[in-house]
Amino acid sequence: MGSRSPHVMAATGPPSTPYGAGIGRRRGWWACAHHDEGGPVHRLRQIGHDEEGPVRRLPQIGYFASSPVRRAATPDRDRTMSAARRLNQAAGLLAASVLADSGVEHYRGCFENPAMYLPLASSALSLAASLHGTADARGGGHRLRDAIYALAGLTGVAGTGFHLYNIGKREGGWSWINLFYAAPVGAPMALSLSGLMGFLSERLRRTPSNRPPRLLGFPAGRTLAALTGAGLAGTTGEAGLLHFRGAFQNPAMVLPVTVPPIAAALLEATAAQDAPSPGLRRATGGLLRLTALLGFAGVGFHIYGVSRGMGGWRNWSQNVLNGPPIPAPPGFTGLALAGLAALWLLEGKQ
Amino acid sequence: MSDSRTGYEGYVTAAADPFDRPRAIGGRAPDVFRPGAWVPMRQYADTDEVDFAIVGTGAGGGTLACRLAEQGFSVVALDAGPFWRPLEDFASDETEQTKVFWMDDRLIDGDNPIKMGVNNSGKSVGGSTVHFQMVSLRFRPEWFSSRSQLGYAEDWPLDWREMWHYYDEVEDALAVAGPLHYPWGPKRKRYPYRPHELNAAALVLARGAEAMGTAWAACPLATVSAPRGLSPPCVHRGFCRIGCSTNAKQSVLTVWIPRALAAGAEIRDLAMVGRIETNDARRVTGVHYHREGQWRFQKARNVVVAGYAIETPRLLLLSESSRFPDGLANSSGLVGKYLMTQCNQSVWGLMDEEIRCYKGPPSLSINEHWNYVDRHPTKDFDGYYLFYSQGPLPLEWLAVQTGARGLWGEALRTEMEKYNHQAGLRMVGELLPYENNRVTLADETDQYGLRIPRITYTYSENDKRLIRHGMDQMEQHLRAAGATDIFRQEDDTNHLNGTARMGDNPTTSVVNADCRCWDIPNLWICDGSVFPTVGGVNPSETIQAIACRTADRIRRMAARGES
Repeated sequence: MGSRSPHVMAATGPPSTPYGAGIGRRRGWWACAHHDEGGPVHRLRQIGHDEEGPVRRLPQIGYFASSPVRRAATPDRDRTMSAARRLNQAAGLLAASVLADSGVEHYRGCFENPAMYLPLASSALSLAASLHGTADARGGGHRLRDAIYALAGLTGVAGTGFHLYNIGKREGGWSWINLFYAAPVGAPMALSLSGLMGFLSERLRRTPSNRPPRLLGFPAGRTLAALTGAGLAGTTGEAGLLHFRGAFQNPAMVLPVTVPPIAAALLEATAAQDAPSPGLRRATGGLLRLTALLGFAGVGFHIYGVSRGMGGWRNWSQNVLNGPPIPAPPGFTGLALAGLAALWLLEGKQ
Repeated sequence: MSDSRTGYEGYVTAAADPFDRPRAIGGRAPDVFRPGAWVPMRQYADTDEVDFAIVGTGAGGGTLACRLAEQGFSVVALDAGPFWRPLEDFASDETEQTKVFWMDDRLIDGDNPIKMGVNNSGKSVGGSTVHFQMVSLRFRPEWFSSRSQLGYAEDWPLDWREMWHYYDEVEDALAVAGPLHYPWGPKRKRYPYRPHELNAAALVLARGAEAMGTAWAACPLATVSAPRGLSPPCVHRGFCRIGCSTNAKQSVLTVWIPRALAAGAEIRDLAMVGRIETNDARRVTGVHYHREGQWRFQKARNVVVAGYAIETPRLLLLSESSRFPDGLANSSGLVGKYLMTQCNQSVWGLMDEEIRCYKGPPSLSINEHWNYVDRHPTKDFDGYYLFYSQGPLPLEWLAVQTGARGLWGEALRTEMEKYNHQAGLRMVGELLPYENNRVTLADETDQYGLRIPRITYTYSENDKRLIRHGMDQMEQHLRAAGATDIFRQEDDTNHLNGTARMGDNPTTSVVNADCRCWDIPNLWICDGSVFPTVGGVNPSETIQAIACRTADRIRRMAARGES
């Protein structure tokens, strides 16, 4: 397995998929991209045009369904734009999670400080920009989206500052009990991550068509893998802290502190190697997909968790506020999408 | 009837009065977690000679019933009180909830008569743990050898290291929610659940401790901070001291009793034991008990008395006969003697900010500093104490104003308006054992025709010094936290212990370390009455730990064929 290169795969052809038309077109472009790097301009434009069509959108919808290894036949430009739009999806999911979560939690805190409205506004904007970006298959950046994502990033950093202040000022200072019950230390960073993913998306979109994509001065796949890994680690830390507060009373509470860090570690390992084995890439893709699914499953678990409060869902107005945060887990899904985008770019590197 | 998991609406009126007639009959017992529901219960005939008849189902008896049943013994546990389903029986009403206390007639005397019938007694399946404050603390190790290591009172016949193991077991069973690092005492296993969020009253204690340079911690509590089985996480209602209506509280009623039933024990509610029978071989043969309007007799190979420090000596004394003219297990003459309580004084103050101290478990933060100080220039007493934050409910607070402060009329009304800004600290202090503090039998009789107990209690000078020191410290801490208009509530006691002390010597104790009576080998006492000293912490966890140890000892003895 380890010696099987993408070139061999291209030569032998990828296994059949449910998206026959799209995959077939990519096979043609794979050959073009490698035999005539950069490719004719008119053919690249043809890709941009195709991406807006319904046929091109199918693989986006079925992203979880096919292995990244099987997708090794996409041309660089196509791949870059796909990654950029997936980053918009990631940013959107993170923003949606923050919007709902900070809405509930800051309502619980009675919006005591007017600054507590900021993450709602910023995450709503980030969500709108992400929806726009996801639908936008054109190359080049978008200034307003860029500005919104920058705002989200900064709001998250400022929020972290507020939360750190809230923890430190309490009796006991930096103690476990304040980490458990004061403002959640890691939550605002989800908004920063939304901004970051959107920001990176804009950078990818601006990649000249004849160059391999780079982010922050490094190859895009590796940069994105590193940042996504850090994001997953931080989110795992936050989930770990709060699930520890809940004494891991349900065995499923272990999942978000085991699966995502393994996925992140595999992603880093993949990014670190010039020629990662197909097995490693498959495992990375699998774990990232599992992480993405876990984010949605977490919503279900948390809905169940709310039902275990006194009075269950009939007492929803109290239990939603005091039970496990229902909107929080999809943050993992957002980061997993970013990780899959990173994997996508890394494969392009091959 | 419903099998709803956590439903609670409408059941208060629908439920049959648990005082009317026993609920645990007909092969079933109340399911404490489901309104109107039942769990199957094994039942024994009075003529069945069960392995153990246990009198009382509180921290000692309920725990022991569970552990013995799980070990395969046949067990009948009797309690004078009703068998509650908290979800349908408990109301957020202080007056209504006095039903969980033992309010039967008692006589009190001595220089400092102990006020009975509220926080220091319980008449329910589950005993006083139904309304306990859930404070789950371990003894300081040295207290097990007070005489030899600290130079006062008595040594216990138990080794603290062995007790540490049983504390672990109890804390696991109760899913105690406590801090990750407890500032006092030897290293302990991590509490099973994380500490609860602190309310404003708890933060007042923290602020005072930080200003005074003493340590503080979130108080280890037997109420869950996350879901556990059918117990929802605590919602900080604050009615803990009159019965938890959500079942977040991990009491004997919600923890050990369901386990006991599942293991085949029979629980008999509304069953008042009035006498233990003996035979010519000077062994006990069973118990006479009153249930459904008649006296009955349950045969048993062993009898365990677990009625707490008043009812246990009362029953032993009531069981006098020509064979045992001074009452059972009383060859030492110590049954009923060395009654101890713990001082429970408070200091209250007014805070600028709103505190609403009644929200949440009453004692969310704790300061055990003075439990671990042996020598200090200001320490002029033997014994130890702690203090924690407090959260009195409205009527309780009213009683403080009318009682401790003697307020009435306009002054009372004005003071009550400050309720939401009040914060207080309450001590639990070790009062020493004295022979003259005792339980005897009065000539008056109760509704069962049984002679009622007379409870005689007087503080020693040492006790008074300890109380004074505690109140001074609490006042300083409260002032350091920013409280003003500080006043003291000087007369209050809580837990009761002693009256059937354990020891190594039959002439100076009633039971041995295994809670087995020196005089009658098949008679056991397993509750707070076996304490030689009370220490400066709430006793419920120690009582349960002793019960767990006793169960293990009985298993080993049975395995060796001892009878």
